[in-house]
Amino acid sequence: MRNPKDLAKLALRMLMEAGADEASAAATRSELNEFNADAGEFSLMRTTFDKSVSLVFIKDHKRGAVSLNDNSPEALKAAVEECVTSAQSGEPDEAWGLADVPQDKVFESGAEMNVDKLFSRTDELIRTIGKEYPKIMIDQLIVSHVHVKSAYANSHQVNYEGEDSFYGVSLACLAREGEKSSSFSGVGSMLYSLDRPFIELDGIRITLSDAQKQIDTMPADGKYEGTVVFTPGCLQEVLGALAGNYVGNSVILEGTSQWLNKLGQHVADARITLSSQPHHPDMVAGQRYTGEGFLAEDYDIIKDGVLENFMLSLYVANKTGHRHAPNDSFAAVMKNGDTPITDIIKSIDKGLLVGRFSGGAPGANGEFSGVAKNAFLIKNGQVTHAVSETMISGNLAGMLNNVRGISSEVFKDGGSVLPYLAVDGITISGK
Amino acid sequence: MLKDIVSTHKSAFAPGASTELRAQRNLVRRVVMQNGNLVGNARSDTKGVSARVYKNGLYGFASAAELSEAAVKKALEKATYNAAFLDSHAGRGKGALPFIQSGVRPADEDMNDVPQKTYIDFLRAVDNYIQKKYPKLLSRSVVSACDSMEKLICTSDGYASHIIAPRGYVYTMLTAEGKDKAPVELYEVFGGRGTFDRSFSKPELLFDTIDRLHERLMHKAEGVHAEAGNKLCILGGILSGMLAHEAVGHTVEADLVLAGSVAQHLLNKPVASPLVSMVDFAHTALGETAPLPVYVDDEGVAAEDALLIQEGILRGYMVNREMGERLKMAPQGNARAYMFSDEPLIRMRNTTVMPGTSTLDDMISSVDDGYYLLNSGNGQADATGEFMFGITMGYEIKNGKLGRALKDTTVSGVAFDMLKTVDMVGDTVTWSSSGYCGKKQRMPVGMGGPALRCRITIGGR
Repeated sequence: MRNPKDLAKLALRMLMEAGADEASAAATRSELNEFNADAGEFSLMRTTFDKSVSLVFIKDHKRGAVSLNDNSPEALKAAVEECVTSAQSGEPDEAWGLADVPQDKVFESGAEMNVDKLFSRTDELIRTIGKEYPKIMIDQLIVSHVHVKSAYANSHQVNYEGEDSFYGVSLACLAREGEKSSSFSGVGSMLYSLDRPFIELDGIRITLSDAQKQIDTMPADGKYEGTVVFTPGCLQEVLGALAGNYVGNSVILEGTSQWLNKLGQHVADARITLSSQPHHPDMVAGQRYTGEGFLAEDYDIIKDGVLENFMLSLYVANKTGHRHAPNDSFAAVMKNGDTPITDIIKSIDKGLLVGRFSGGAPGANGEFSGVAKNAFLIKNGQVTHAVSETMISGNLAGMLNNVRGISSEVFKDGGSVLPYLAVDGITISGK
Repeated sequence: MLKDIVSTHKSAFAPGASTELRAQRNLVRRVVMQNGNLVGNARSDTKGVSARVYKNGLYGFASAAELSEAAVKKALEKATYNAAFLDSHAGRGKGALPFIQSGVRPADEDMNDVPQKTYIDFLRAVDNYIQKKYPKLLSRSVVSACDSMEKLICTSDGYASHIIAPRGYVYTMLTAEGKDKAPVELYEVFGGRGTFDRSFSKPELLFDTIDRLHERLMHKAEGVHAEAGNKLCILGGILSGMLAHEAVGHTVEADLVLAGSVAQHLLNKPVASPLVSMVDFAHTALGETAPLPVYVDDEGVAAEDALLIQEGILRGYMVNREMGERLKMAPQGNARAYMFSDEPLIRMRNTTVMPGTSTLDDMISSVDDGYYLLNSGNGQADATGEFMFGITMGYEIKNGKLGRALKDTTVSGVAFDMLKTVDMVGDTVTWSSSGYCGKKQRMPVGMGGPALRCRITIGGR
């Protein structure tokens, strides 16, 4: 079996020989090993051997893309032909392009898998949960190790080679007592080492202890404007929606983003700095090169409340005259504040601490409404009882200008580094 | 079509274990046109083999990204090793699974594969129509999304099957400026089971529905916020299908039941109004082929309908072979995997609220003050049965007549509470099948239902 580097170079050569003006080829080879526990017990050990090849062919400003997981010469030949035909079927668009700054770099991260240690850490987590959090029922626990070799080559002398190896932990659980149960809770992390017990990973203990307090719930009382504190896990969901609604490819290309003409302007409270930082020291297997062949760099989306960058592909950037994003992952980092979360909560008269948001996708205008899940009522500066059947609604962009506080604490899950964010002016409605 | 490289390995299955071998290929074809720009033009082809071995209460699974005898051997050996590893570290000492009926099920479909130009030309025609007829729109998107799944399955007992399941859809999304200058959007989905060329012979056949979509978008552009609170509503068929899938279906999947879902203690108890019955159809629903038929599942079980709710009483769960044994319920064909590298999970197939006797007109005219909710953008539910659906299209009902359109909003409730408020059930089922259900893996599923009159909490603003 060819290694990804040789495969990417071979595929690129075939694309160029097929007449490409520009072309790229990416290849991966990976092995995943995984333990699953369902309903609190080990259930499955899974191993997958995988590979992939992705081809992009551009000729006369027409672009075709094909991906496959067969690297045999016959399959590659057929895929190149399909890619060419696909491009010929389209229409010319001068905005298509690829990174054109020559590069030749090799990246490495992580460590070899220790399967016995992975099993024992998993077993230890199940036993610890059983002992210290007796009301918790593990719905599904998935722990994994991924080893992936990757390579990218394009027609502008851009060549990358990577090898990453990392672990993942994903826990979905609920709490039970008699016939009553809490809502689902979920938490996960990516990590390089098995040195620490999984129970000590950011967010796991608090998720378990909160779930145990969420068996008995009541709706919030009435309808009012209050303060909502988003946990770091929930903030990640909110930021994903924010990115899609205001700075992502679709809304900028379609011109429907309400921030379309706001680059360089204040769009948020001056305390908000939001960036995508795959090179952050707490990221695991962060992106090193983009799908279009650029060397991935950290960048700010919002800095001190000012909109600095959209999250655009090269195509949309060329199409709209903006700059393409320096990386095309969303390794979300929000700058933390200087107030502990307990002090922020002490300042809140009436509101909610929300661990998960179950809502409709916000409309193009940023308006959202949905159910506050894994949530607690905050009253007179204290977190009181868990709530159910309580809805929150507001406006995504408006929320960023109504910040009460950003916690000094951050959670690091290997894919993001985020604090708690408290915002005022959210409509909270119970029964 | 896939060549049979699995059945010859049956003799290598470990004695005393239940083993499944699967060769699989997934094709995806996707074209995206935004404001006339061809921004997505991609094809993917993913194939490989997998083996799963059940021994002493635990599973070992392995897959290899290759369709070859060597890959089958590698997957089988590794799966057997994994089952033994887990048994030695966490053995449960359980026996083999009960035997199931064996047989053979041949393929009866084609893979979804037409040249990329077919999709592009079709979308271009649709896009041109929208652009010319509705030039004032802020933006428009048309997307074709087609996938096909082909599986060759060989199990130590049960059915040997060859499954081919193609789907093809066209999405149109229109955005207009609302009266408050903020953008409002609405989408429509066309298509269903089968190859693209069979579902989409002429672009013109979509135009009437696009006109209706635009008309509704204009209503929505003038729309109002729903008044928040617990309201009498008519849920359209798309929403009652989503309710059947998200809010009830997931809570009665046996893996979630065993983890502690609300349904764990409700078997044979009332969970809904006596007007409500719910079925997860396998392959034939209401006298016709179901939207996404399943004849044999990935464990080799011949698929049958799963009765979930009968006249308001919870009657069953959806199980796989292993959980069926634990719960003493017969497996009915709910175990399915998405990719060759995925293990079968308990999945719904075509989950439906059964139709009643009321006409939609009668239902609307019976409401003095409430809402008619037609479309949803997304939906989620919880182990507790608490659900949330994003509402993208709806109307006020005042004195039995439809009034102003609604801006985007959300409805929520607790399924087994809300279903008890159902007092009228429509006579016509509306199906949808374009989406994926997300669990550990994604999976194409069908869902459907009639209009339901019920009380539900609506978000408002």
